[in-house]
Amino acid sequence: MNGSLLAKARGVGAAKAPLAGRIMPPGFTSLLSRYGIYLFMVVFLLVAAVAAPSFFSRGNLSNLVLQIVPLAIVACGQAMVILVRGLDLSVSSVMATAAVVATSFSGHDADIPSIVLLSLAIGMCAGLVNGLLVVKRNVSPFLATLATMIVLQGLRFAWTHGAPSGLMPPLLHRIGAGTWGFIPMNLPVLLAVALPLVLVLHRTTLGRRVVITGGNPMTGRLLGYPVDAIVIGAYMLSGCLAAIAGIVLGGYAQIVDNWVGRGFELDSIVAAVLGGFALSGGRGNVAGVIAGSIVLALAGNIVLLIGLPVQFQIILKGVVIVFAAACYARR
Amino acid sequence: MSATILTPPATPRRVRRGPSADMLRLLMVLALILAIIVVGAVVTDRFMRPENFANVFEQATDLALVALGQSLTVLTGGIDLSVGSMISLLSVLTSGLIDGNSAMVLPVCLGILAGGTLLGVLNGCGVVWLRVHPLIVTLGMGAILQGVALLYTRAPIGSIPDGFDSLAYGRVAGISVGGAATALIFVLVAAFLRYTNTGRTIYAVGDDSQAARLLGMPVRRVILLVYGASGFFAAVTAIYLVSRFGSGQPYAGADYTLASVTPVVVGGIALSGGRGSIFGTLLGAYLLAILNDLLNFLHVPTQIQLVAEGLIIMAAVSIHVERGRRS
Repeated sequence: MNGSLLAKARGVGAAKAPLAGRIMPPGFTSLLSRYGIYLFMVVFLLVAAVAAPSFFSRGNLSNLVLQIVPLAIVACGQAMVILVRGLDLSVSSVMATAAVVATSFSGHDADIPSIVLLSLAIGMCAGLVNGLLVVKRNVSPFLATLATMIVLQGLRFAWTHGAPSGLMPPLLHRIGAGTWGFIPMNLPVLLAVALPLVLVLHRTTLGRRVVITGGNPMTGRLLGYPVDAIVIGAYMLSGCLAAIAGIVLGGYAQIVDNWVGRGFELDSIVAAVLGGFALSGGRGNVAGVIAGSIVLALAGNIVLLIGLPVQFQIILKGVVIVFAAACYARR
Repeated sequence: MSATILTPPATPRRVRRGPSADMLRLLMVLALILAIIVVGAVVTDRFMRPENFANVFEQATDLALVALGQSLTVLTGGIDLSVGSMISLLSVLTSGLIDGNSAMVLPVCLGILAGGTLLGVLNGCGVVWLRVHPLIVTLGMGAILQGVALLYTRAPIGSIPDGFDSLAYGRVAGISVGGAATALIFVLVAAFLRYTNTGRTIYAVGDDSQAARLLGMPVRRVILLVYGASGFFAAVTAIYLVSRFGSGQPYAGADYTLASVTPVVVGGIALSGGRGSIFGTLLGAYLLAILNDLLNFLHVPTQIQLVAEGLIIMAAVSIHVERGRRS
């Protein structure tokens, strides 16, 4: 897409130049690495169709989508952080905090504006702290976001005294778990998040600057881009999307505990990497992330439909992660 | 980069003027530990008793052991996120297979150590031959191992014969045997890293694996070695935890996955690899243990303990600004 620009940009200040993936003519390998995740998704859908005809029932499909949406939302934010060579382990903590905040009000629909504003503010604050630690204090993203995760966890427990009480407002529950006919109601939330992201990232100058900065921050600096602001912005966006996902997932469950979103920090990283975002930064597209989330969710769903013990869900997920990454997400 | 190739890359980066960066970082962690001790001494007089320090020394053992293996993978620029699940699986296997029969202790423990090493080497194979980022390989491996652990049992399982708990609770002259053994292992590994070719190659691979390969160093073998070592130390930790708790639990290791990285980085080993000292990891583990100890003395609720731990991590890792970037 912007291969030549990237190649030029990398040439400027590049110490190591991992050019191979981009400069290569579009042979089989590069096609696989770009579209492999969709191939995987189709294969999984076929396997599901053959193994369990009940997979394509409306009930199963819309339920599956309801479960995919929160992961896909977090993974989109995670992908932006990975794009600028970071990682965000604090997303699960932000999700749980957002959900807990949502239940801390009276439980009526009238609370929703304050719930959403407060949650988004918390998410963005967490992202801001992450971003500042990474940019200004040069802390490794892994550790900065791990520390934020722990602090938020502690604050949440202190706030709830261990047990959150209260319910999600009915409207949020309907958004998180309801369907129109067979269209899940949380799907519009994902679209509202993903479409602008796709447009900005892949169709605007700003998006291009983010990609170039991620590919090589030094290049970004030499070209005069606001590198620090871009990186901090990525973390804030990730926190913000995590808060949205927390509200959606909390709505799905309606009754919220302190661990809403547990495991999402690693799952979202996997979804982003499967979707083609390289951990070394500067590569990937948002549609792939959504496909990656779908593949992860399918792995769990198929196990249940085939009737294997539930433990095989995690095992199959692990196999899929390694196998899929080995197929097309090589370093 | 070319400078890295010309200078002998096996030498850990050293600053010629004044104390080395590694030494500064060790001193900083020591200063933090001392600060906590001073606070403890002021706040409660029971804190300064020798028994308290002996307890802290004992309680740091498990974290120090996992973090030792983790340090090695991080030194090569990798990471091992499968240690938690590995500990879970190996701990249920240990207690489940021993099941109170003292004749089984030795064969099972040897088998577990071998199994852990093998699983670690498998991780290394994924990194080397599949050429997938270590984070992804070990994450996938972690999911698989956790699933297998839950297939084996979903509740605490097995029991240990009398005397097996002395591994965790045994003391000679008031000093924890397990803790002392761990400290000794750290010294041995540090000597290995400092004085053997393989040890220095670990630093070289982490500093610049491309250059290391061009110089003809056995990069792949070293990567297999560090992941194998990480698996081995996860197995040691699993056995230690079984000895401490009396049975294996399918989620025994869950918290160690991320926790094992903390002392490594607090102690000054850069996540980008190639720099830092293994003693930093040991001090990092002691720092976290003594912090928990102090907070327990202060009757701080667990929630606030978490906040304090997170803030200490932030403080410790953001003090040295110039460490992160290469010139």
